[in-house]
Amino acid sequence: MATLASAPEPRTLQQGRRVLFQPGLVLKLVVLAILVLLIVAPMTGTVLFTLTPDAITAWSDVLVGRLAPNLFWWPLVNTMVIGVVCGVVCVLLGGFLAWAVVMTNIPFRRTIGVMATLPFMIPSFATALAWGGLFKNDRIGGDVGWLQGMGIDIPDWLAWGMVPTLVVLILHYFSLAFTIIAASLATVNSDLVEAAQIAGAKGRKILMGIILPVTTPALIAAGSLCFAGAVSNFAAPALLGLPVRMQTLSTRLFGMIEVGQTARGFVIGILLVLISALFLWLGNRAVSGRRSYATITGKGGRAKRFDLGPMRWPLFAVAALILLCATVVPVIILIASSLAPSSAFLFSNWTLHYWIGTSTANIAQGTPGIWHNPDIMWATTVTLGLGLCVAFTGMFVGLLASYTTARYRSGWLSASIMQISFLPLLIPGIAFGAAYIAFFGAPIGPLPALYGTFAILVIAGTGYLLPFSVQTGRAVIQQVSGELEESARLTGASFARRMWAITVPLAIRGLAAGGILIFVKIIRDLSLVVLLFTPTMPVMSVVAFRYASEGFTQFAHAITVLILIISIIATLLSNRLQTKSQPWLKA
Amino acid sequence: MLELKNLTKSFGDVPAVRDVSLSVPDGAFLVLLGPSGCGKTTLLRMLAGLELPTAGQILFEGNVVSDGDRQWQVDPAKRNSGLVFQSYALWPHMTVRGNVDWPLKVAGLETAARTQRVDEVLAMLEINQLAERYPNEISGGQQQRVAIARTIAPKPGVLLFDEPLSNLDAKLRVEMRTELMRLHRATGATAVYVTHDQIEAMTMATHVAVVNKGRIEQFGAPQDLIDHPASAFVATFVGTPPNNIVPVVRSGAGWQVAGRPMDITPPLDDCLAMFRADSLSVALTEGPRSLPMELVEVSTIAGRTMATALAGGLRLTAVLDRPPAARVGDRVHIGLPPVPDAWFTPYGERIA
Repeated sequence: MATLASAPEPRTLQQGRRVLFQPGLVLKLVVLAILVLLIVAPMTGTVLFTLTPDAITAWSDVLVGRLAPNLFWWPLVNTMVIGVVCGVVCVLLGGFLAWAVVMTNIPFRRTIGVMATLPFMIPSFATALAWGGLFKNDRIGGDVGWLQGMGIDIPDWLAWGMVPTLVVLILHYFSLAFTIIAASLATVNSDLVEAAQIAGAKGRKILMGIILPVTTPALIAAGSLCFAGAVSNFAAPALLGLPVRMQTLSTRLFGMIEVGQTARGFVIGILLVLISALFLWLGNRAVSGRRSYATITGKGGRAKRFDLGPMRWPLFAVAALILLCATVVPVIILIASSLAPSSAFLFSNWTLHYWIGTSTANIAQGTPGIWHNPDIMWATTVTLGLGLCVAFTGMFVGLLASYTTARYRSGWLSASIMQISFLPLLIPGIAFGAAYIAFFGAPIGPLPALYGTFAILVIAGTGYLLPFSVQTGRAVIQQVSGELEESARLTGASFARRMWAITVPLAIRGLAAGGILIFVKIIRDLSLVVLLFTPTMPVMSVVAFRYASEGFTQFAHAITVLILIISIIATLLSNRLQTKSQPWLKA
Repeated sequence: MLELKNLTKSFGDVPAVRDVSLSVPDGAFLVLLGPSGCGKTTLLRMLAGLELPTAGQILFEGNVVSDGDRQWQVDPAKRNSGLVFQSYALWPHMTVRGNVDWPLKVAGLETAARTQRVDEVLAMLEINQLAERYPNEISGGQQQRVAIARTIAPKPGVLLFDEPLSNLDAKLRVEMRTELMRLHRATGATAVYVTHDQIEAMTMATHVAVVNKGRIEQFGAPQDLIDHPASAFVATFVGTPPNNIVPVVRSGAGWQVAGRPMDITPPLDDCLAMFRADSLSVALTEGPRSLPMELVEVSTIAGRTMATALAGGLRLTAVLDRPPAARVGDRVHIGLPPVPDAWFTPYGERIA
């Protein structure tokens, strides 16, 4: 039926162009090259290093040698205990808070919701330092903590080792579990709950029969992320465990590299990556078949909340206690102990000496306050510079990668870009740092060795935070839907003009907010930079860590407070730029 | 004249559009009608120049604008076509005026000419009082008007619409339908309109292409589709209510219609019979050629009664002059005429 008209030989318009490449091929190759350099090359470099004839014995030393129990197996046991306990407790705590905030009529639920997201903003080394300020006893000498100073005898198990490490990590990571579970609970359609109510189910039945099964994927995801975070954490076991020789894989890795046993360190690092990756993969696998639940979207507001009845205030007290311990208490202790000459008497004889004092021989061996301390000021400058550079490069690479994969979705190149950019999630920061030493520590062709330079810090930070920046970039790109750009393309606007008039104005706030969050993440990071640190190129978190290890706690605490202040200002700025969506807080 | 020659598009190994050829004269209103996922939007995106065909050509007024065989195409902006997106795709950071104005600015028009043209199209779509508002400050129907204004402002020769009314509520949809037809007459442009709603197709089109699984099942005027459906798919997809299709199979010496022996002479041993809704009757007692079924729906339409009955997987709809004596849920007997209105093979191809 279709009529094929006998048209004259078609005339070809001048404006046409031949499509030579598959669209986006060049862009994809560029992005892939960057990712290979940032992530794949250092990781393979590390593995290859341990396989060289000189280093290959490290594998047997670590796994089966005479030293193996001390080098690997006992640290592994400690690491697994930390990971499992932390994962389980975080899901319970975070799940309880998320349930209370999203599903019940607990008093001050909005405040609790905001407070519960804060602990993740406080770096774990800050909480660990605060623990020392409070619970340190006289076991290893030096200043004791406030409670011991008050005359309460603190047993060793509460001051050092496994218990404090677990408490600190749980207080840090439960907030991650809360965020994931609350987001998932918020998507439980109120219709689902109402349908169950109409069917005659009561509170407990609804919780066990509807809400729990629907949120299982989120619970598993939260548990495996908390596990992975806890096993790869360096600060808490290093500050609270190392003084009593409790080793985890990450502190072992650090120790090996510090004493120059690089090959053994790398082997431990590789094993740590495998363990953390295995559990994330298992979690992901358990979730993947059921993920579709999470896409249920809530239409309209939640009609009814569970009435807690007489349990409202007791439950509120529990929630408030947990949150105070995780947020307010550590910050108060850190501030107080940066002012108090002796942490045994936290709230007496306050002085600003550790902040703005000049060198006095009888205080802290003549170390001047951080304002007059050139080392600390230099570290602050380096840290801020690092934060700015990584924020810029991270958002640039993240945007490039997410733009490429969002606009040219098909093909194995796009798939591998996506996979590789999320690879660092599986790699603990300290292992990542070790890989960068292995790869960039020696000259590559005409390039000089980068160890000890600012450049290696920027490159490592960019690579390490890539999953995060790609995620942010994706959110930004999704804001500017493909059709908005296509409709601009239809007008004939050039690529540059489309970017300038459409994409950038729409994306700029999201980009800036994402950049600031990357900035915050990198300035308060310890595990990635602790191995890349050199005295010529110091960063604040490592300087604080060193001061703490040497017993100059006031300086360590003062620097940590400074990091917290910078982080809070930056986070507030970012929140202002991009009003964060917290669907579970909507009425 | 707008012409498609053997147009084909595959995504990887998945064919989306297969060997589509058709042509419509200038000023036509072509509707691409089909169920979701049939390839109609891919066809439209190829017309807009957003997708390059895998094979075949697209010609606007005798000029090749896309050539899949040579992997060559004219830039989307230089094809003299405009596209209205399903999501409207209004730029949220520009006012209504800004949205309509920007394409003209990109095209390099003088400020005075632009202002005049923008005022003109805003007035044409009766949205001039919204000129300084932002897209999120106006209703869905108004956003739709802005999207159309933005597309017609540069006076394209071919207007492309991707399910433009699907996001509107029923009443607005009817209003916008009339509005779009008025605009089409006013601009004189050739329109290509994608929809899955056969009522839109029947009311607006000068030409309809029914698309199914990437192929054109039938191409013709709306009335052609009703009068001479080329396939069982078309017969059941267009018309209000759609036609009834009943399987007829050979059984011994005679034939069975929907499982009941009946006196009928089909052209093949095994085929499908098409009965128009107004050729069926509903009775309480068995007739010479009737099927026992359960009455499931009765509704009044324009003074007549539409009755639907169900038996097994078979669903038949009759249009009657007066309501049936039976009530919904009752057993009724649907009477078939001696000769069906059309015959199709079991695969849906038309026989007679």
